[in-house]
Amino acid sequence: MKPDTPSPLLSVRGLTKHFPVLTPGFRRRQTGVIKAVDDVSFDLAPGESLGLVGESGCGKTTTARCLLRAIEPTAGVTLFRLPDGRTVDLARLSDRELKPVRQHAQMVFQDPFSSLNPRMTVRDIVGEPLVIHRLAQGADLDDRVSAMLARVGLRPEHRSRYPHAFSGGQRQRIGIARALIMRPSLIVCDEATSALDVSVQAQVLDLLKELQRDFGLTYLFVAHNLDVVRNFCDRVAVMRKGRIVELAATRDIFTAPQHPYTRILLSAVPSPDPDVKMNFNVGEELAKLDALTG
Amino acid sequence: MNFPPEAPLLDVRNLRVSFFTPDGVVGAVQNVSFSIARGRTLALVGESGSGKSVTAYSLLRLVQPPGRIVDGRIVLRSQRAGEIDISHLDEKSGLLFRVRGGLVSMIFQEPMTALSPVHTIGSQIDEAILVHQDVSPAAARRLTLEMLHKVGIANAAQRYAQYPHELSGGMRQRAVIAMALVCRPELLIADEPTTALDVTIQAQILGLIKTLQREIGCSVLLITHDFGVVAQMADDVAVMRQGEIVERGSVRAVLKNPQHAYTRTLLDALPSRRARVM
Ligand SMILES: Nc1ncnc2c1ncn2[C@@H]1O[C@H](COP(=O)(O)OP(=O)(O)OP(=O)(O)O)[C@@H](O)[C@H]1O
Ligand SMILES: Nc1ncnc2c1ncn2[C@@H]1O[C@H](COP(=O)(O)OP(=O)(O)OP(=O)(O)O)[C@@H](O)[C@H]1O
Ligand SMILES: [Mg+2]
Ligand SMILES: [Mg+2]
Repeated sequence: MKPDTPSPLLSVRGLTKHFPVLTPGFRRRQTGVIKAVDDVSFDLAPGESLGLVGESGCGKTTTARCLLRAIEPTAGVTLFRLPDGRTVDLARLSDRELKPVRQHAQMVFQDPFSSLNPRMTVRDIVGEPLVIHRLAQGADLDDRVSAMLARVGLRPEHRSRYPHAFSGGQRQRIGIARALIMRPSLIVCDEATSALDVSVQAQVLDLLKELQRDFGLTYLFVAHNLDVVRNFCDRVAVMRKGRIVELAATRDIFTAPQHPYTRILLSAVPSPDPDVKMNFNVGEELAKLDALTG
Repeated sequence: MNFPPEAPLLDVRNLRVSFFTPDGVVGAVQNVSFSIARGRTLALVGESGSGKSVTAYSLLRLVQPPGRIVDGRIVLRSQRAGEIDISHLDEKSGLLFRVRGGLVSMIFQEPMTALSPVHTIGSQIDEAILVHQDVSPAAARRLTLEMLHKVGIANAAQRYAQYPHELSGGMRQRAVIAMALVCRPELLIADEPTTALDVTIQAQILGLIKTLQREIGCSVLLITHDFGVVAQMADDVAVMRQGEIVERGSVRAVLKNPQHAYTRTLLDALPSRRARVM
């Protein structure tokens, strides 16, 4: 490492998560294991945006959830640098040690429907992290919630509504507001803008970038939309079957992909030009790739 | 049933849907009209919250209180069941049951809307077949496995026995797609069907929808935010904003030569056309 390279905000080594495969029914027998995340390693520099892309089911969300200890990793080390300069291994902290650390690392979920409590108003959903960590109350809490809702493009009168009264895109913005209100240093965005129309998506991406500049945020950005990743991320990690197959600067991934899987992935992006026909045949190409690599 | 060949499968006329909330009336869909010809694909694009999903729910009469269809006609000219005005069917009528279960299928934006967390994927698809088709449980299971395989789920037999939370977001959506297609609908409504999928599986699913569409001649109403998907899949496109359709036309005309300012705003916001976010 060069002496002037800033030490990483997050350093992941050998992250692994296995799920048991069980038979259905009441007494479930284990018949095997799914290697959802298989020896994943990468660094996140402070202030960068790392894209995480790849096949559905390749382990992106599981990686993210293990990092933030929403679930227990099977193995691995995740060194996270706190604002006070201490470095902790997120994978090894006890629940009690974890609680004060959580405010610095937040997640915006893939699925705005099941991640929002249907019995809470928007005001309570967005304000809850501040309440849990005793960071604000009363009028101060109200003000901060209103300000954050305005920043993500929701109106003040939305505050007393429940999640079911919102469209998919509006719900996604509620989830973003909830994560951002903690002013964390690391945000994991899991398909954070995929439910949004392209115009709102552009606004939210601009907002995320603006907040990154203002607060030095670091993003792990999980997304299927490769155009968005190309537009937003500094580096990109391509995952397949639990492993990172390629990690490089965004420009290199898109202009000179090294791994055959990356090339197939890029060929499947549908062009918004009706005269540029997309490749519907990726299934066969993936099967060929698997036959070659075993 | 025979209709003049030019009669569209679906005619939506002056549809209005409102939500009567304690804070006032939300006019989610305001005077929307469109039609879909047999075998064709109409894409519905537009602003988040503009009423695309509510329009789709209306076609199946799934709008929940405090929401209600307040005006309009939804005419389905079914080969199997004749002409049906869906908007005026009685909630308990057998025709509405047929519409929901076989004539019109819907793939929801969020797969968990369609899946029960307490049953295995396989048993849920079996159930969808058994309710609407006269086949044995063993035959239903065979159809289910075949369909799971068709939508690109590897190890179909193992996945058959798994619960929704044990699948990735993308796999769940493929299971839902299998469930929607297994009854060979005349109209398939797909609300953001591939948003949760990576582009390789998206390509396969879109290809599958196209193949199936050719195979059984169904029409597709495709709701999406992805203009790439619109360009590659649809014949026609309608652009919605604030409960209204502001522009409608063939995909080529609208994407290459948009007339309405809002359509241009959307196209300019495409990530592939925007400068890099700095
Ligand atoms: N609780 C669980 N029990 C068993 N298997 C699980 C569980 N959660 C995830 N898996 C499995 O782990 C693998 C990775 O899933 P994950 O959700 O991380 O994928 P993903 O890359 O986020 O996919 P997508 O792009 O579709 O969201 C999949 O095979 C999935 O079925
Ligand atoms: N139960 C409800 N109560 C009040 N308003 C509602 C309710 N359900 C939906 N709405 C409103 O109806 C409008 C249309 O919502 P709809 O879900 O159809 O949007 P959409 O076009 O599908 O958006 P997206 O692209 O974000 O999914 C939204 O403004 C929403 O807030
Ligand atoms: Mg995921
Ligand atoms: Mg919607």
